[in-house]
Amino acid sequence: MSRMGAARVRMPPSAKRGEVVEIRTLVQHPMESGFRLDNTGKEIARHIIESFDCTYNGREIFRAKLHPAVSTNPFFTFYAVASESGEFVFTWKDDQGGVATATQSLVVNT
Amino acid sequence: MKTQKFETGRRDFLVRTAAVSGGFMIGVNLSGTVYAADAAGTPAAAAGTPEVTHWIVIQPDDTVVIRIARSELGQGSFTGLAQLVAEELECDWSKVRPEYADVNDHIRRNRIFGSMSTGGSRGIRESQEYLRKAGASAREMLVAAAAQEWNVPVAECKAAKSVISHSSGKTTTYGKMAAAAAKLEVPKEPKLKDPKDWKLIGTSPPRFDIADKTTGKQIYTADVRLPDLVHASIVQCPVFGGKLKSYDDSKAKAMRGVKMIVAGDDWVAVVADNWWRANQALKELPVEWNTGESGNVTSESIMTFLRTGLDATDVPVARKDGDAEAALGAAAKVIEAQYHAPYLNHATMEPQTATAVVTDDKVEVWVGTQNGEATIAAASEAAGIPLENVIVHKMHAGGGFGRRGPHQEYTKQAVWIAQKMPGTPVSLQWSREEDMKQGRYRPVALVKLRAGLDKDGNWNAWHVRQADQSIFITVRPADIKNGVDPVNVRCFQDNPYAVSNFTDEYAMRNPHVPPGFWRAVAHTHNPFFRECFIDELVQASGKDPVAFRRPLLKGKKDLGVMEAVVKAAAWDKPAPKGIHRGIAVVDSYGSFSAAVVEIAVTNGTVIEVKRVVVALDSGYVVHPDAVIAQIQSGVIWGLSSSMHEEITIKDGRVVQSNFSDYRVLRLSETPKIEAILVPTGGFWGGVGEPPIGAVIPALGNAIFAATGKRVRSLPFKNHGFSYKT
Amino acid sequence: MSRKRGNSALELTKHGIHDIHGIHVASRRRALQALAAGACFLIARPATATPDELTAALRETFGERSITRGRVKLEIPRVAENGSVVPVTVSVDSPMTQQDYVSGIHLFAEKNHLPRILEMQLGPYNGKAVVSTRVRMATSQQLTAVAVLSDGSLWSAAADIEVVTSECGL
Repeated sequence: MSRMGAARVRMPPSAKRGEVVEIRTLVQHPMESGFRLDNTGKEIARHIIESFDCTYNGREIFRAKLHPAVSTNPFFTFYAVASESGEFVFTWKDDQGGVATATQSLVVNT
Repeated sequence: MKTQKFETGRRDFLVRTAAVSGGFMIGVNLSGTVYAADAAGTPAAAAGTPEVTHWIVIQPDDTVVIRIARSELGQGSFTGLAQLVAEELECDWSKVRPEYADVNDHIRRNRIFGSMSTGGSRGIRESQEYLRKAGASAREMLVAAAAQEWNVPVAECKAAKSVISHSSGKTTTYGKMAAAAAKLEVPKEPKLKDPKDWKLIGTSPPRFDIADKTTGKQIYTADVRLPDLVHASIVQCPVFGGKLKSYDDSKAKAMRGVKMIVAGDDWVAVVADNWWRANQALKELPVEWNTGESGNVTSESIMTFLRTGLDATDVPVARKDGDAEAALGAAAKVIEAQYHAPYLNHATMEPQTATAVVTDDKVEVWVGTQNGEATIAAASEAAGIPLENVIVHKMHAGGGFGRRGPHQEYTKQAVWIAQKMPGTPVSLQWSREEDMKQGRYRPVALVKLRAGLDKDGNWNAWHVRQADQSIFITVRPADIKNGVDPVNVRCFQDNPYAVSNFTDEYAMRNPHVPPGFWRAVAHTHNPFFRECFIDELVQASGKDPVAFRRPLLKGKKDLGVMEAVVKAAAWDKPAPKGIHRGIAVVDSYGSFSAAVVEIAVTNGTVIEVKRVVVALDSGYVVHPDAVIAQIQSGVIWGLSSSMHEEITIKDGRVVQSNFSDYRVLRLSETPKIEAILVPTGGFWGGVGEPPIGAVIPALGNAIFAATGKRVRSLPFKNHGFSYKT
Repeated sequence: MSRKRGNSALELTKHGIHDIHGIHVASRRRALQALAAGACFLIARPATATPDELTAALRETFGERSITRGRVKLEIPRVAENGSVVPVTVSVDSPMTQQDYVSGIHLFAEKNHLPRILEMQLGPYNGKAVVSTRVRMATSQQLTAVAVLSDGSLWSAAADIEVVTSECGL
């Protein structure tokens, strides 16, 4: 089951058509690399988010494959062209079946 | 006048700090102009004067400013590092002025000054090549510039004492040629002198740092005075890893002089118009902590945890030669012992201190640091301000010993507090009690040692099982390979003794107490374990400690230093009546040391350390007086820690609070110290830490010689001994 | 002394990638196991990646395709006190039109446990090819960003970072 914490997305609620908007995302996750040692020197099992994607009215506009060197609580900033009003859906999936999602609406003014 | 402060306006001031005999300029203007390290990245001495290589600035009056990237912690780096440059530069030593290489300039110039880290006894040995080359390059540039001006071949010119002369008799000075020389390309492979031709290296000119420290002129971080400066005292969660739950500031904030209460994840600070008021108010500020899982930890529970490391199967092997188990099985005599060492605090004479001023887009800090780069990075990360907009004023530290290098939490705290008061400089000074309870402690260690002797008393089997706390896991985890901390296994894994069947196993056991690099690090307790255990083998073999070691150290430089102390202490003759001796040999940080400790014991329990003889082979010696001083301080460090010092844990927190319950060596307990320099040349070893290791086991072995009691844990006071004062 | 680096183009040459003119990934994968033959340790896995492993990762990702230095800007702090949270921004000089856009940005570390850090897919709908994240740098090393453009060309930038805590102790 998901052991993921809260996901947060920050982006403007509205934009002019054609405007490039900034999207900032953060999800709480240990990103346990599998290389850290416990207090007796044994490796701690890996537990990381492996994929993150963002769709805009159903169309994928950003996808990331994450490896253990992405920091705890993965953070991304990327951009999108405001083409039409609609919904952004953000999905994070970890290697133990955990999933976190967030949605955000954007109103596009002509 | 070397120390002065004058204001040219309320927000426009200049502080001149006499860090060195020539002083170095720090000028800041909170409205945005920085005089000393200005926007063009030209540090103080370089302003308007030419750089002949980035290490050297030569002024028209022949003053030679030599930049120092490492920190001056009292070990003499300002003098020794400058000697390396000046030796090759052939400048007039009386006109040399060292100054700190500007950290911000360093970052802007892509880390041009290399490592600023001042630890691991690496200052001289890791800098020597590039600093000597800088001096040689600058000399070649100055000579080339003069040859060009005179239109004569370079080969007909030579340089000495900042004067360039031509075979015709013409002369000029470095000061006159510096501007032209600065425009020349820096030679990539300048020719370095043969060590036999050194004139300055190997001599002891007066040190740049000592006069001001002796007369009280030296400015430390706590002495920095800025307009509108406010002072902070802090309390952090006493249980390591715990968090702040709540606090009641109703009384504290109403107290005289109090300006603000600031809290973080695991700390609360009071800001007031002076430090005393801040600290008094902090005492009237009840705080509740979430102590987490570690609130019940005690020294005893930590010991139990370490013991699991002795019993564990399937632990990493740091070194394996031959077959120790088989050889132990076949041995005529098997000796087995466990040794233990406690946590220790650095207890620097100057508690952790930092001053910071933060504006919207800039942060400026004053810190006595062992690594200017760690400080600028910590300030940048704490403020969320890019490195380019962070100014670090490196202050001479009031003791470092490994406390002020990688751990810069006090720098960050000062920045966080200053962020709450934009534009107002904040001086954060930890109280002594806070410093004692929030250390980065020399970690605990436990070992089980087994050795086998054949029927002739020869040592041919050795099995070591270490169970101890890793420092690297907290600061350098990538270098822990296969579960083995490469620092903690030193002294065993790299031991010089020719024992054909040897196994070193390492069981990492990390309690919650934060560990740190404490001067000599693993070479404080591991030599105690190793060399006292060897003394047990010596007893079992019926041989003399020196005779026992000689064949095992054949061909090693360790043998040379042992023979040097044997000679100096007249080991081959019986000790004077009432005097009992111990000997030990340790190599560390690229150098080799041996110690003989002589003690007298009254009533079987009162120890008086009469004399300590230490021999050191550091390859080359740059400043003999500084090396002798390091040996003296190393002996005191070793005696203090092994006789008195101990940090204990109860309820997850440090029990000790001040020098009343964390005793250090007193002057009246300090013996006569004889330092013997036996540099054999051909290599560059460290000197800050290497003298320490052999002292502790030599004392332990002397105690056995005097009392017949084998002490297998530190400090020795825990074994019923007291000390004659 | 801290490790001196040449300019980043030269550095990549050392990794088996050539500079802007003759850009291709070295054709021979080297035996990685040999690197880990540390006599003292029973397990031979190296704790950190090696430049050869970076070369191997680049080859696995991009095959024999040329990688040209340029068009990519990689921003990281020159020194970090804490290597576990290093802010990174990658910007690619691209109009991000339907005809000419960045389709991918990859981040590689020279000396982490694994050379791969992150692979991101972008398109013209992003408007600008700028991404920021936070990564872990196990030790002082070079970080490399490679951008894949819609015409199939590969562009790169590299930046050095000094993780200062890794400087102590030894």
